[in-house]
Amino acid sequence: MQDSVNDIISRKIDYIANQNNIYHSGKVIKLNEFIVEVTGLEDVFYFEKVFIGNEENIGYVDKIEENKVIISLVRTNGQIAVGDSVIATSEALMAYFSKDFMGMIVDPFGYDKMTGKKINNGTYIPIETPKIGIMDRTDVNRPLETGIAGIDLMFPIGRGQRQLIIGDKKTGKTQICLDTIVNQKDKKVICIYVAIGKTKKELKRLYSQLVEKNAHVYTIIMASFNDDLAPLIKLTPYAALSVAEEFMREGKDVLVCIDDLKKHADACREIALIAEKNTGRDAYPADIFYTHSRLLEKGCQHKDGGSITILPIVETKGGDITDYISTNIISITDGQIVLSDKMFQKGQKPAINFGLSVSRLGGAVQKDSIKMIGSTVRRELLSYLETADVYQLVNEESMSPELRAKLQEGKKIMEALKQPKFSPFSENELINKFKFVIHMPNQDSNKEEVDSDGDII
Amino acid sequence: MIGKIIAVSDLSVKILLNNPSEIKIQDILYANHNDHIYKFEVVEINGNICKTIVFDNVIYLKKGIPIFKSEDKLAIEYSDQILGKVFDPYGNVISNDTLKSVKKKNVYERNVSLEELDIQSGLLLTGIKVIDFFAPIQKGSKLGLLGGAGVGKTVLIKELMNNVFKKFKSNSIFIGIGERSREGKELYDEIVKSNLIDKISMVFGQMGDNATSRSKAIYSGLTLAEYLRDEKNQDVLLFVDNIYRYVQALSEISAELGRSPIENGYPTTMISDVSKVEERINSTREGSITSFQAIYIPADDYTDESVQTILSHLDGQIVLDRSIAEKGIYPAIDVFKTTSALVDPDIIGKRHFDLIEKSLKFLTRYTELEEIIVVLGIEELSEEDRQIFYRSRKLRNYFSQPLFVSEQYTGIPGQLVDINDVLDDVENILNGTYDDVDESKFLYIGSYGRK
Repeated sequence: MQDSVNDIISRKIDYIANQNNIYHSGKVIKLNEFIVEVTGLEDVFYFEKVFIGNEENIGYVDKIEENKVIISLVRTNGQIAVGDSVIATSEALMAYFSKDFMGMIVDPFGYDKMTGKKINNGTYIPIETPKIGIMDRTDVNRPLETGIAGIDLMFPIGRGQRQLIIGDKKTGKTQICLDTIVNQKDKKVICIYVAIGKTKKELKRLYSQLVEKNAHVYTIIMASFNDDLAPLIKLTPYAALSVAEEFMREGKDVLVCIDDLKKHADACREIALIAEKNTGRDAYPADIFYTHSRLLEKGCQHKDGGSITILPIVETKGGDITDYISTNIISITDGQIVLSDKMFQKGQKPAINFGLSVSRLGGAVQKDSIKMIGSTVRRELLSYLETADVYQLVNEESMSPELRAKLQEGKKIMEALKQPKFSPFSENELINKFKFVIHMPNQDSNKEEVDSDGDII
Repeated sequence: MIGKIIAVSDLSVKILLNNPSEIKIQDILYANHNDHIYKFEVVEINGNICKTIVFDNVIYLKKGIPIFKSEDKLAIEYSDQILGKVFDPYGNVISNDTLKSVKKKNVYERNVSLEELDIQSGLLLTGIKVIDFFAPIQKGSKLGLLGGAGVGKTVLIKELMNNVFKKFKSNSIFIGIGERSREGKELYDEIVKSNLIDKISMVFGQMGDNATSRSKAIYSGLTLAEYLRDEKNQDVLLFVDNIYRYVQALSEISAELGRSPIENGYPTTMISDVSKVEERINSTREGSITSFQAIYIPADDYTDESVQTILSHLDGQIVLDRSIAEKGIYPAIDVFKTTSALVDPDIIGKRHFDLIEKSLKFLTRYTELEEIIVVLGIEELSEEDRQIFYRSRKLRNYFSQPLFVSEQYTGIPGQLVDINDVLDDVENILNGTYDDVDESKFLYIGSYGRK
């Protein structure tokens, strides 16, 4: 009897001694998926890192209420119980950054996802950095070549641009990112591929493709898996952009592919609903627009020279790009590449829907040599697609010669735009392949102006 | 010290007050913690606890931090110095510039009474065919530019700035709410380049800023416009891109405060919040405010509650449509939804009015015919329908226009078109004068008849 009382007392003393400050610890009172409610912890600050039970369970302070603190878990061994002690660290939850990340698959905290080991010789950086102000930005006008004709000609991407890639499952969205990353070889662009909610199998396949093309040497893959906790999935793209910003501040050009933001939005919805927050349209949290807008606003051409280009991906259903999350992101990005299921099945790959795709920067990010050809190809092609729809039932003999020529030209352009994966066009190859559009004789007044500018060809 | 923090969440902080009677709604409170000033605005008071929304972020805030009260409520410079400057929504100058002396005014106070309201004025031409023809506006009008994501709202508002602002050289205010920072900077650079920066004042609460910031930009910007109208008796042009984002920011705040939303998460007080702002955008006998307001249509849903609430305040609307943009016709205007209060034979004249009616009749039939053609082909149409079909296509192409601000995409120089030329061209297309001209000749031109 005496012994066991002594035992309890000494354990209690040890317990108190082990915590640096008794007021810095609390107790779990409620556990719901990845949300932990804690009493005590009177002195924690918003976004402080805490341990629950032991150091395998990591969370951050998500809300401080009058009589309790809400913790979101980012990592757990699944062994948390009510009554477990919660230890505050007096530090904010931070991301980790090391230049050794190059060629690896890492998580936001600097663990190698392949081996599970922590990578060293890096520094702690904030998961989310302050916004990049309006006056710190400058014109986006240097091209970032994807090597894909349909994009570089008609919907060009500039360094510092945010260009959405959107389409149904299996329409080649990730492939466009991969092609673009592979095409950055020797172009002094650091690539970061952010995998959100990808299966492990998909990720491994993607990694081996990068290795095969030797593109992994300038690429970091930052990933959270499908089975990671939703709060970790939510933070992953922010941490990746924080890493990108480190490079940008050194004056480097960075390309960040985020694959994909629909899954990210779904993770945010999961968190908001579990946390019983008021929701907005389609049960997404009320601030889902801001969640994505502040993330994608990290993309910029900085006045000090560096840039962050972002290619976010969004997966749609049934080809509908007008759902809530898609339109939100379209309204944030500087343009979108829409991929179409129908084109893909017809063998028109990459399966770009030319009517719905847009680049708001357009010719501003193209070299002059490409600009003229690009805008002509786009105009001819859109006009062909629209005309082809209306005149599809008209007998070819009864068409005017102008119309017939237009339709033939359109078909020729469509054929030239077909391009297998990992076979990029250089600038000169693009010009050679598409210069036929400029030489076409016609009577259109607009195009005559183009011809008179022929010195560009 | 007036109290202490007792609760912290993403966008709001609760404060336990020592003496509740010294705090009022809209008071600005602050804390100095970790060498950083955190600011808050009071939005709710319940006994000795008040809820506030934060100006910036809440990281590192904790319970017990002492809170102080600022002298002023939210205020912005109210003098000639506003011209040429760029402000954040809290009234700080963010362009590379400083104010010599400070004379600020509260951003919430002003309202226009029925007595001082002025509704008389003349037509204001924009040089954009489809606007001057289908939705003519006048000085003091409120014109809405509606569209879903990525169909060209910002391009059109920039074109209007280019045409109207550069033509009239009257002082202007630009309010950027929840839009892209990149575009904000580009706009600023362009205005500097065209030597017009001394005629404009800008406020930006862009999409990288939190909801508090985005919700205040409109009040600060309006106060600047009111300065020019009330104190300088000027005719002011006000550009707002994008007023929907104001409502969106309020939704975020409302959800954070735990208030029940109406449909799609919009705040309970949406109708009154929109009215508070829109009723301030008016003209008096001393000066006028002509406003151009971009309105984002969320999820391409034109019937969206907030869009309709904003629309009920406007004199005219221009609706952009994705299906038209998809065909490569810009500005991608849906002529059936585009209209203004001035479409009245007594104001624009009988000829213009009749041409609008006839155009709409043709284009309505054209959309019906499009469906028929997919099944039967053009050959099967009656002679009359075939005429309508070809003339409507010409008309549709004619209302595309090379814009000054999109020269970089199209390579075609922009054009201003006189409304009388538009009326002549439309009349000639409709009555068949141009029947033997190929339809592609009407695409991306200025006037056809006057070359």
